[in-house]
Amino acid sequence: MRIALPANINATGLLPFLCRLDSARAERVIELDFAQLRRVSPAGLVALVARVAAWQREGRTVAERNVAVCPILPYLQRMDVLSACGFGLPEAFTRHEAKGRFVPVRAIDHRVNEMGDEMSRCVAPGGDDFEHPLAGLYDLVWYVLTEMGNNVRQHSGGQGFAAAQVGQSEGMVRIAIADNGRGILRSFREAGLVWSQTIDDQAAILKALEPRVSSRGSPNNEGVGLTLTSNLAELTQAWMLIVSGQGIVRIGPGKERTVQAGVLPENGAYPGTLVALTFRRDHVHDFHLLLDAAKRKSGLLHRPENRGRFRA
Amino acid sequence: MELQLAKELGAHLADGEVAASFRLSRIQPYVSIYEEITLDFTGVRNANSSFMNALIAGVVEQHGEAVLERMTFKGCNPLIRVLAEAAIDLGVQKIDGRIDA
Repeated sequence: MRIALPANINATGLLPFLCRLDSARAERVIELDFAQLRRVSPAGLVALVARVAAWQREGRTVAERNVAVCPILPYLQRMDVLSACGFGLPEAFTRHEAKGRFVPVRAIDHRVNEMGDEMSRCVAPGGDDFEHPLAGLYDLVWYVLTEMGNNVRQHSGGQGFAAAQVGQSEGMVRIAIADNGRGILRSFREAGLVWSQTIDDQAAILKALEPRVSSRGSPNNEGVGLTLTSNLAELTQAWMLIVSGQGIVRIGPGKERTVQAGVLPENGAYPGTLVALTFRRDHVHDFHLLLDAAKRKSGLLHRPENRGRFRA
Repeated sequence: MELQLAKELGAHLADGEVAASFRLSRIQPYVSIYEEITLDFTGVRNANSSFMNALIAGVVEQHGEAVLERMTFKGCNPLIRVLAEAAIDLGVQKIDGRIDA
């Protein structure tokens, strides 16, 4: 089966693209045709790499077609998409420093700490210094990546990938994490949560946004990673998209939190979970205040006075 | 007893499993032995909720809220402090039975 990648895999083009990938669910040989591809977001990149990795893991044959004439071939190479998919092609350019511009696709492994630090320094150069003007951005990206990375490792049962991009002129930062695992609903069901037997994918995503939903039976994970990430998204006026199975949930910016839940078009499904965040760089400053507000908003902090003893 | 987190675990603390393991081996066994326990976060640049909850909430849950009178959180930057406060709050809520452990 040949899958023609569309010209635009960003904004409104992302969900139809996920469905197009899903159309190969029963195929043994899959050809990805890159001839028309012109724009692709980090979410599109990590979704593609995660799917190709799953197909290859299942023993299917995956080949590229027309990647040599793809208008954005150097970009795909620089983002390490082709190498991650196993499509070796010589690079006809010199690799320059990526800091402050993008983070190539990276596999999520046990080194979540290192991944978070490296990717955050790439998005917010200098931000690892607590006094730096980009420290807030560094902290936000590090927090989201490590919590989402932990989720991939602990719950997905599959491989995860992350990527990021900074739009210098528009001032937007895009982060995406995708895995090819069991998805949120199956994760709940396999954990033995009775209520999950009667809900669908979109309800499962909404449930995962509630605080401490996955606490039971997992003492190391208090089930707040996705909850706090979504509240941080809201507080920074960000866009957030979560896709898992057939379900999608979008959180949009604005004075009031707008949460839209739905399903992928054409009965499509994304086997695994995809989380994409887009936020304005200038909306992120004091991360500790943001996190404190996100925790209070989630109902995670109950007491006005904390009894902990702190000293310098 | 004073435990220096940066020296033992590094400047970036993201893994809840590492935190739980550290708590079980390096904190819990000594809570009833030492009068004062200091967790020194000097040099820790950042942490996430998974790590801090696994490190701190379990101590409070296991030994009761009174343990906080014997524990000191030292050298916390503002982010670590927010996370530590939330982890303490979580431990207290677990004792109160508002959250299933």
